[in-house]
Amino acid sequence: MQTLIEELKGKLIALLNLTDVTVENFDENAQLVGGELGIDSIDVLEMVVMIEKDYGVVINSQEMGEKVFASLTSLARYIHEQTAGDAA
Amino acid sequence: MTETVFIAAAGIVSPLGNGLDATATALQENRTAIAPLTLFPLLQGTPLPVGQVPDLEDGPLPRTHRLARQAARMVMAEAGTPPPEMVLLGSTTGGILTTEDLLRAKSCDQAAYRHHGLASVADDIADFCGCRGPACTVSTACSSGAVAIALALNLLRSGQATRILAGGVDALSRLTYFGFHSLQLVDRNGCRPLDVDRQGLAVGEGAALLLLTTTRPDNPLGVLLGAGLSCDAHHPTAPHPEGRGAHQAMQSALRDAGLEPAAIDYINLHGTGTRDNDLAEARAICKLFPNPPPLSSIKGATGHSLAAAGAIEAVVAALAVSRHLVPANTGGRQPDPDLGLLPERTPGHRPVATVLSNSFGFGGNNGCLVVGQADTPAVATRKKLDDVLAIHGSACLTGAGLQEATLTALQAGTVVAGMLPARQLEEALPARQIRRVKRLARLALLLAQEADQATGNGVSPSAVFMGTGWGALSETYDFLTRLTESNEQFPSPTDFVGSVHNSPAGQVALHSRATGANVTTSGGDHSFEQALLAALALLGEDETALLLGADEGHAPLSCLLDPSISDGQPLADGGGALQVSRNRHQARCLVRLPFYGRGNDKDLPERLIDALGGVTFVTTKYAAVLAGIPAGSYQQGMAQLENFFHRIGQRLPLWPYRACIGEFASASAVAAAMAATFVEAGTVPGALLGGADLHLDREAKLLVLGTGKALTAMEFFRP
Repeated sequence: MQTLIEELKGKLIALLNLTDVTVENFDENAQLVGGELGIDSIDVLEMVVMIEKDYGVVINSQEMGEKVFASLTSLARYIHEQTAGDAA
Repeated sequence: MTETVFIAAAGIVSPLGNGLDATATALQENRTAIAPLTLFPLLQGTPLPVGQVPDLEDGPLPRTHRLARQAARMVMAEAGTPPPEMVLLGSTTGGILTTEDLLRAKSCDQAAYRHHGLASVADDIADFCGCRGPACTVSTACSSGAVAIALALNLLRSGQATRILAGGVDALSRLTYFGFHSLQLVDRNGCRPLDVDRQGLAVGEGAALLLLTTTRPDNPLGVLLGAGLSCDAHHPTAPHPEGRGAHQAMQSALRDAGLEPAAIDYINLHGTGTRDNDLAEARAICKLFPNPPPLSSIKGATGHSLAAAGAIEAVVAALAVSRHLVPANTGGRQPDPDLGLLPERTPGHRPVATVLSNSFGFGGNNGCLVVGQADTPAVATRKKLDDVLAIHGSACLTGAGLQEATLTALQAGTVVAGMLPARQLEEALPARQIRRVKRLARLALLLAQEADQATGNGVSPSAVFMGTGWGALSETYDFLTRLTESNEQFPSPTDFVGSVHNSPAGQVALHSRATGANVTTSGGDHSFEQALLAALALLGEDETALLLGADEGHAPLSCLLDPSISDGQPLADGGGALQVSRNRHQARCLVRLPFYGRGNDKDLPERLIDALGGVTFVTTKYAAVLAGIPAGSYQQGMAQLENFFHRIGQRLPLWPYRACIGEFASASAVAAAMAATFVEAGTVPGALLGGADLHLDREAKLLVLGTGKALTAMEFFRP
């Protein structure tokens, strides 16, 4: 899980061009969308595309999205569950 | 005094059919034309429902051009003579569908891309109609058509023209089809505006053109009573949740028409069927109309034809007043109780005296029109405005840097052509502000920031007028590249949002909270002049605007698209910005646009001289000429210039500025910023004119000529 969290930090910084954030100071438990980082609906869609492309995990409803993108930890947990489910 | 503006004739091509009769019949039948896409093959997945125009005539021109031609043919058949004095066209796609195929085939043939630019559509229609005045393109996303018509209304009222062909056109393309899909804004079940279960829009296509005149034709379809423009300045795509900008645009359209809300008989909604649009629009309507009149959206029938939508719906408004037709809210079944609106369930047949037609677009760009029955008297609501704008500050950006660095280099006789390194651009702007936008929006944001600082009067512009020849090339290229590389699976929503031509001006508005008119024009090498034309026509008496022009250099697109750039040539880009208003108090310089012509080359310079006030006036008042001679039309441009000098009987001091500033479409915006600076300083640097410094006395004016496909003249002089 922690590896996935660290990996996602790097990916989101690059994907969303968060030039003033580093892997070290990215708080995985902070509010991801609508919080300090200025991440909004367009970024969410960009993350949805990346997660499908890189992890094969589809997030296609707004209600699910709100839960999944609550924080970086919740996102990692969701990806982890979905991919673990696939493997089983 | 306000002139009555008549809708003399109209052409319409939509998924519902060709022409007024077919459109009216389809609306009376409450029929939807939305069906799965067949226009281009998909690499995977089931085709989404779209509004596709059936049986469009084939031909060598791209699809957008052919749609526009078809609409133009209908208008010309009805009212072809005399030709329109101006063509104002809303478009966002230009030749993109053809360009997509060329890029996939890795074509490097510049000639094959010649119909890519938005300007090529308006130019083609102007040629087709024999128009010898401006052919302008308004590109404000989904409000383009309405904004083009609003611009036409104001130009007609001001007396600058008596006959204008205005409207909008867009063709389906991969960019828009996959773009809206990537934003999860497409309803897989077709489009259901205002419905409780609505899930989005259906991307569509079409064209509509209206011949607007100030002389009463025999059987006018209606009159254009008013228009209102605004910008949400809230978010790149999402509307303001309370419909703030929508409310403002509707209110100002009504005010412009001299009508109270209660006087509106029918509202043709923007009603795209997305959750957010319909909610914001409903809130704005409920706020403005205590008892909303009958209303409906036709997008459940036609799909959303983007730049064409506002024009198609203006024609539908004309059908409503001329044929007593109230269209149904096709596609909607159960109205969403949260909206508080009850759209028309079935088509109605009853007299309609006035229609309000709404169009809203990305960038929070709103345009509303009021159409009335042919015998409605126009109400004078607006004072006739001056044909001069006061400049309160300027900024420019070239390969040498910002205005001061550019000026220093030019005074030393150094060429400033080039591209400011991406790193410098990034460092000059707040990281958060630019994280989602690429080069063109960054150039625009920096220009806005610099113009604001240079002005130093603490006045923040409320309106934005921006010219760009090619729009956001980085985002367009990156979107299409990722689309192709991922086998059409993973296009970037961020790049799609950034790819629209008005994204940079929307960004500027967002950061300066400019909630007034927000107009992006695209006219090739005359894009900045078109933005000036729009500003002169639309800027209100007490408003301040940022008027800018910018283009980005992009490898490989710039060289494929811009005929002035040859393969292997180092790219140049940048732009210029002016803070303008109608208030001459403490103005640093004044600007006019005395001439904008196109057509027969030989006759153009003569028309220019007439417009400037004749030979004697030209030779005594103009101290120097700053001429833009694009490399892509060098011979044509040089011939125009030589002819001009020949006719005035002497050569005025000349700065052919592109040799210094570089080859890019909005180089004239840099020339404009320089001209304003020279006038204020009272000197033109000798290094530019090949001699000594040229002193400008109080009365002296500078002429900035744009040559090539059109011939334009901007005039800069002291207050």
